[in-house]
Amino acid sequence: MATISSTAEPDLVSTPLVGRPDVNRKRLARMGWGFSAPALIVIAAVTIFPIVYSVIMSFNNVTVSGSGFSLDGFTVSNYNLLIHAALWRDALFFTVYYTVVTVAFELFLGTCIALVLERLVAGRGWMMALLLIPWSMITVINAELWNYIYNGTYGVADYILGGLGFGHPVILGTPTPAIIGVMIADIWKTTPFVAIIVLAGLVMLPGDVYEAAEVDGASGWTTFWTITLPLLRPTIALAVMFRVLQAFGLFDLPYVMTGGGPGTATQSLAILAYNALFKNLSFGPGAAVASSTALLVLLGCLATLRVFRAQVGQEGN
Amino acid sequence: MGSRKYPGRRHLSGKQLTAVIGVAGALALAGCGGSSGSSSTAGGGGGATQSATGSASGSATSGSIVWSASPLTGTGANDARTVLINAFEKQYPGIKVTLVSAPTNTDTNRATLATQISGGSATPDVFMGDVIWPAQFGAHQLAVPLSQYLPSSYWSQFAPGLVQGATYKGAIYGSPLFEDQGFLYYRKDLLAKDHMSVPQTWEQLESDASKLVKGGLVKYGFVWQGDSYEGLTCNFMEYLTDAGGAPTNSGYTKATLNSAAATKAVTFMRSLITSGASPAAVTTFQEPQAMNTFGGGNAAFLRNWDYAYSAATTASSGGKLKASQVGVAPLPTFQGQTYPGYSNIGGWNMYINPHSKNINVDLTFIKWLATAPAQDILSKRYGFISTVTSVRSDPAVIGSNPVFAVVPKTKLTPRPAGTPQYPALSTAIYQNVNGALAGSSSPSAATSAMQSAASSALSSSSGGL
Repeated sequence: MATISSTAEPDLVSTPLVGRPDVNRKRLARMGWGFSAPALIVIAAVTIFPIVYSVIMSFNNVTVSGSGFSLDGFTVSNYNLLIHAALWRDALFFTVYYTVVTVAFELFLGTCIALVLERLVAGRGWMMALLLIPWSMITVINAELWNYIYNGTYGVADYILGGLGFGHPVILGTPTPAIIGVMIADIWKTTPFVAIIVLAGLVMLPGDVYEAAEVDGASGWTTFWTITLPLLRPTIALAVMFRVLQAFGLFDLPYVMTGGGPGTATQSLAILAYNALFKNLSFGPGAAVASSTALLVLLGCLATLRVFRAQVGQEGN
Repeated sequence: MGSRKYPGRRHLSGKQLTAVIGVAGALALAGCGGSSGSSSTAGGGGGATQSATGSASGSATSGSIVWSASPLTGTGANDARTVLINAFEKQYPGIKVTLVSAPTNTDTNRATLATQISGGSATPDVFMGDVIWPAQFGAHQLAVPLSQYLPSSYWSQFAPGLVQGATYKGAIYGSPLFEDQGFLYYRKDLLAKDHMSVPQTWEQLESDASKLVKGGLVKYGFVWQGDSYEGLTCNFMEYLTDAGGAPTNSGYTKATLNSAAATKAVTFMRSLITSGASPAAVTTFQEPQAMNTFGGGNAAFLRNWDYAYSAATTASSGGKLKASQVGVAPLPTFQGQTYPGYSNIGGWNMYINPHSKNINVDLTFIKWLATAPAQDILSKRYGFISTVTSVRSDPAVIGSNPVFAVVPKTKLTPRPAGTPQYPALSTAIYQNVNGALAGSSSPSAATSAMQSAASSALSSSSGGL
């Protein structure tokens, strides 16, 4: 690839770009491919190949041994196993439920925070830096921190709840509180990320529309509902997309906090895939979980985009 | 030219955006599952050394090997692994052993080793692995069958049952390093205050524990390992065997968990929580949490492995109790059964990586670890139960730790680890027992869910979910 770029560059200098649009377009396209080729090869090697391989693996009987593993023939039994496994259905339900709830909360809180931040005249930089602390902390450390808070014998949450007369619920050891507990940790960590994206969108909004609204005597509430929110929709769509992608791959938070328990109450699809792949060494079913999860999140994203598409198109015009 | 070269960001159509984000999503997610794929292809080229000649005898005098072992006890110069290596290198000055500290979580440890070895890595040469691994590692050729190299006279020096536990389909994969088993630890001073004797039945333990808590003598009664993880399978096996049950048939082809005994075991474990004998938080306890609660003086009874006595009474390990306060006994059993109850067997073996280039040196190290000097370090200095019969029965060893005196009185029950499907089987057990302990399902619903998950694990050729 290096040869293409090194010969193309002097060429570009010696030949004027104006006057021969067709030739230039072809040459530019060739150059573009040349420059992109190293990156494309790396992407193909480290992402596309493994993905395709894992899909192939999910359709095979896989034998793992000390000398690597072998694919022993086409089968749909791995997917058949998933469909009939309560474990997979429970993990799917938990992952979807978790994604919907946390993304909704993060979006609401993040937008509120962004609106406040935008109005902030002094100390906005400091506030943003402070806000980003939970987001910038490693998730595993976050999870350990919340484990201390929730601990049933010496945790702060346990102490506070006890003091308020709620008794001593074992937060991470009881299914519903455990799910809520993991969600709170996630919302605490990720809301700032949503706030920053929304804030960026807010700052970009055109000022003249607001001036016009003010002239027309619109109240703050009306301005928010009829101007700010519609204009923000593309930004919100982006935030939702990022968050759905991340939330669907949920692994570290419940893995550290609950190990997927109590029972299987907080077992996400990613934890299920990990257990199948690396604990049971059953690579076929594990690959099937990973591949089907990727397909589901892809469909989920397409659906979300469809909902927001009108707004994205409007903004384009 | 600006407009053509830099198409306005706002011109990105909905369809394009869909495509970009969709692809990004698929990449991000499938990348996780895919990583196993890429490592596997690297492994495909790794030379298999399964057809070993069996000529190495473990009498090397020079070479260098890498040993993977999770932390045992002690830190710095007092780290048990370092002390062992130093003693070995002193006797074999030509051999260098490099320690790789493995993850403390046994599942993470196994995942690391399984990916490394199936990926064709020649290191670590030797690894310390859980006693429940032989079937899985044997079935997947992730460990060398040591019986190819070491004669029966080597294996006969170990305490009964240990070698059998390391055997899969006639070949021995692990050389026993040290043994773990469950014990009942109790607070002598608290029992004396209430004129109680050491409980011999679970029912007695439950009522004593509740009584001590209600009397305000101690914060919690009985602490054990109830979290959703392997340790809960160990705890459950003790109650199950006491109740007369077994998890599978002897050939590991059928699960037998929908029995009255299994329901009795789960019902009793749940009642420990509802009666107030155990704190509700026990459903989130692994060994460290249970140990800290007891060692900090906040519990009257503890079910734990052999290291708990020294951990509870050693200030540097976080123990706040005096030796005179802590007693150790075999575990109780259910009313109507013969005392004592069953203790689950744990412990660690030494295994060899099939890709190791220094099998003769590996064997030398493993053989040395089974000799009296090495086993003495483990038992006398660190309180681990020796796997070697002659060391175990040595009066000097027995006198060094009150736990060792109890060992001959205990009855042992292993986990059903003779099948390569054991991890999925164990997951079926601990997830459902933990669910019942947390109150999310009734004991009978938990045992039937356990039975169906265990059956599908055992009948699956691929290992299952």
